Amino acid sequence: MPGERPIARNTLLTLGVVAIVGLLLAWAQGVGGAKLNDTLALFAIWGIAALSLNLVNGTTGILSLGHHGFMLIGGYVTALLILPDSARQQISSSARSAMTPFTLGLSVEGAFAALGLQALTTPGTLWVRFLVALLVGGLVAMVFGLIVGIPSLRLKGDYLAIVTFGFGEIIRLTASTSLFAPFTNGALGYAGVPSEFGKSLGWTFALLGITLFVLTKLKFSSHGRALQAIREDEIAAEAMGVALARHKVMAFAISAFFAGIAGGLWVSYLSAARLDFFLFFLTFFFLVAISVGGTGSYTGVLMGTAVVVFVQQYGDPLEQTYPLETWFALVGALVLAAGLGGAWFRRRTRLRPVWHPLTVILAAIGAVVLAVALLAPNWAPFDGTFQAFGMRRILLAVLLITIMALRPEGIMSRAEFSWAWLLRERTAEPSDEERAQDAWLSNPDLNRPGGAADAGGAGDAGDAASTAVGRYDYASDHPSAQGDPLPRALLDEDGPGAHPLLERGSKPRDVQRYGSAGDPAFHEDGSEGAPEGVPEGAASGPDPEDADGAAGDARGDERQDEHQDERDDEGRA
Amino acid sequence: MSMLSVRDVSKSFGGLQATHQLSFDVEPGEIVSVIGPNGAGKTTLFNLITGVYTPDEGDIQLEGTSLVGRSPDQVVGAGIARTFQNLRLFTNLSVLENVLIPQHRRRHVPWWQAVLRTRSYREAERVMHERALEALSFFGPRLMSFRLHQPVYVLSYANRRRTEMARAMATGAKMLLLDEPSAGMNPKETKEITQIIRRMRDEGGYTILLVEHKMNLVGEISDRVIVLDYGRKIAEGAYEDVVNDPAVLEAYLGKRSDDASEEGAA
Ligand SMILES: Nc1ncnc2c1ncn2[C@@H]1O[C@H](COP(=O)(O)OP(=O)(O)OP(=O)(O)O)[C@@H](O)[C@H]1O
Ligand SMILES: [Mg+2]
Repeated sequence: MPGERPIARNTLLTLGVVAIVGLLLAWAQGVGGAKLNDTLALFAIWGIAALSLNLVNGTTGILSLGHHGFMLIGGYVTALLILPDSARQQISSSARSAMTPFTLGLSVEGAFAALGLQALTTPGTLWVRFLVALLVGGLVAMVFGLIVGIPSLRLKGDYLAIVTFGFGEIIRLTASTSLFAPFTNGALGYAGVPSEFGKSLGWTFALLGITLFVLTKLKFSSHGRALQAIREDEIAAEAMGVALARHKVMAFAISAFFAGIAGGLWVSYLSAARLDFFLFFLTFFFLVAISVGGTGSYTGVLMGTAVVVFVQQYGDPLEQTYPLETWFALVGALVLAAGLGGAWFRRRTRLRPVWHPLTVILAAIGAVVLAVALLAPNWAPFDGTFQAFGMRRILLAVLLITIMALRPEGIMSRAEFSWAWLLRERTAEPSDEERAQDAWLSNPDLNRPGGAADAGGAGDAGDAASTAVGRYDYASDHPSAQGDPLPRALLDEDGPGAHPLLERGSKPRDVQRYGSAGDPAFHEDGSEGAPEGVPEGAASGPDPEDADGAAGDARGDERQDEHQDERDDEGRA
Repeated sequence: MSMLSVRDVSKSFGGLQATHQLSFDVEPGEIVSVIGPNGAGKTTLFNLITGVYTPDEGDIQLEGTSLVGRSPDQVVGAGIARTFQNLRLFTNLSVLENVLIPQHRRRHVPWWQAVLRTRSYREAERVMHERALEALSFFGPRLMSFRLHQPVYVLSYANRRRTEMARAMATGAKMLLLDEPSAGMNPKETKEITQIIRRMRDEGGYTILLVEHKMNLVGEISDRVIVLDYGRKIAEGAYEDVVNDPAVLEAYLGKRSDDASEEGAA
């Protein structure tokens, strides 16, 4: 079986990379300084949340905008369960506290003590309690995921997006009301949540690894295919036996579980739980990460998260005070870049003229502004300074717009990173022989008695049938085309075409890969399938690539015209 | 017992009576064609059988159990699968994935087992791949080999139709409803698909109900033909009898009966 070896190799490669990443992280935690450490931890935590959002948004194709709500639930539950006693006493002694003795007593430590597990209540075993709290937080969020999943059964598209957005906001707003104040401590929230987990690269990256593992395995499984079917066409998915309700709710629940985990790590990272840590901008960041990285691609989403976290963490210089000429130079450079980029884009997509007036004007304005700002920094209009608050988010929004305009499917589109791709193993591009056979099958002119296939003089259907299996003698028919790749692959038995099917060849870059499948069946059934397709006499038709139109012609009777239009419209939709 | 029995089924959309008191049976192993002019209610009939629409009145039974009120996925579970007139494939997925998806229902393994790739999941996955290739092999090399891993959006129109048929077969249904299987195919491909439909019955053991406009295809493979017009059944029987029925000539072929004799002869 040719598929076996690469799989073992891939596992080894993956393990090797995991080990290297582990070493790098250990180094970063030890020597790298607090800023780097925080950035990496933030990447892991937001990565978990973005990946889980991608299960609903990318894989299942449901636009959900309420992810921060699930994070809030997971975060608050974790915080409440893990809060150290000193912090609890502070809360209960605060005059404004709304927490009741009951909620103040809700802790994993208390539960362990009540169960007689004294060994697990020591400071040294805090990590066990944190893990339990994290899991409970995830599970509670999952229950809420189930609840939100239910409207998703009746609503679609924009309506559902609005409902999920409303849900996220409702969670945050009701959490601040007096009804839930005993649990959330109102607007004060909790302070003093242990931060050694949310800031630990070991913890956060281990959980990120688990999330990535679970979600990618899920995507490339029977369940993942069912979810993708829902994304592609709900009606068809249902007609193919996919129980819509069950699968959508499953997607929401799993997604909410990991969002809850991310929320728990987030409060630990911030060492406090407050309602304003869970604003909509969190979901916005994840949506940017998903759109930039590639909707539906988990590895792509991690790349997108890296971009977002980098801008967020290292974007402070953008929001400082600078003299006006610096800003003008910056804006000029950006406009110039937009003009040049536009021309480059037009060249790449073969639009003419490359130098569209708009690109020229943009480039010219940019160049002039840049030049003036650089050459005459002391010019009077440049007096003064300017500070751009919120520049980081503006940058992210601009990034989002640019990606949407230039590559709406994101950097990675739906494909995942894979070793086969990295090592340039294109596993399913048709071989020359297969291409030739396909061309032969779908070209009626070659297939017609007396047509090209019969040029050698074979008259009867039997001969035509044996030609059909793939021995069409292209060279004898086109003596001038000796150098063409098609005939050589056909004529040369031991040529490159003699390999087992799936070892050679490949497929377009964006296609997911399977290791198994295909080859024996092709040979067995192919040899009987092809001759059947050969017509005894008769009919060459129009080129099948044109078949859509041909169908209309074939039964083009005026009475059908109006309906035909309708059908065509639906077909395109 | 009949495979499918439709009893006095009616359906109207607002004022439009799309199906009116329709009754017929399909016996196991039959190929039955439903024909009729555009807008006669053929696709609506398929939608009624597969649970996309609920009949206003009447009953639809598969081997004696009623299908009325079931959702489309439950109807597939009961054993009826369909193709769509307008092609509804999972366009961004590969041909193989398209044919694997319909088997998810039958070989359902809990999701956490799928994540952990347990033995029972791997076994289910293996069987699914086998069944998928079995269904695809009806179409020979047109869908096998490198086509397996190509996304559907690169396929030709005819190959998409074939993929839809393979996908319907892979559901494991006993009965297939094919809505214009040869639409968009040239005469040669139509001939081929005619033979494949026959093989689906003979080798695959499927009972087949199909809607078709191409009369030579209908004449060649149908055991029985049902003619609809304005939602009513106006004739039923062998192809030769039906196409010569005066009611059909008038309602279905209308004024252009000269075309009809041509088509009948083809
Ligand atoms: N959901 C719907 N709402 C309103 N009217 C509908 C609906 N579905 C079908 N119809 C109407 O019912 C009638 C029958 O349509 P149907 O699609 O079943 O025709 P058909 O026999 O399949 O025609 P064709 O040969 O063009 O496919 C048409 O007049 C159509 O406009
Ligand atoms: Mg129709």
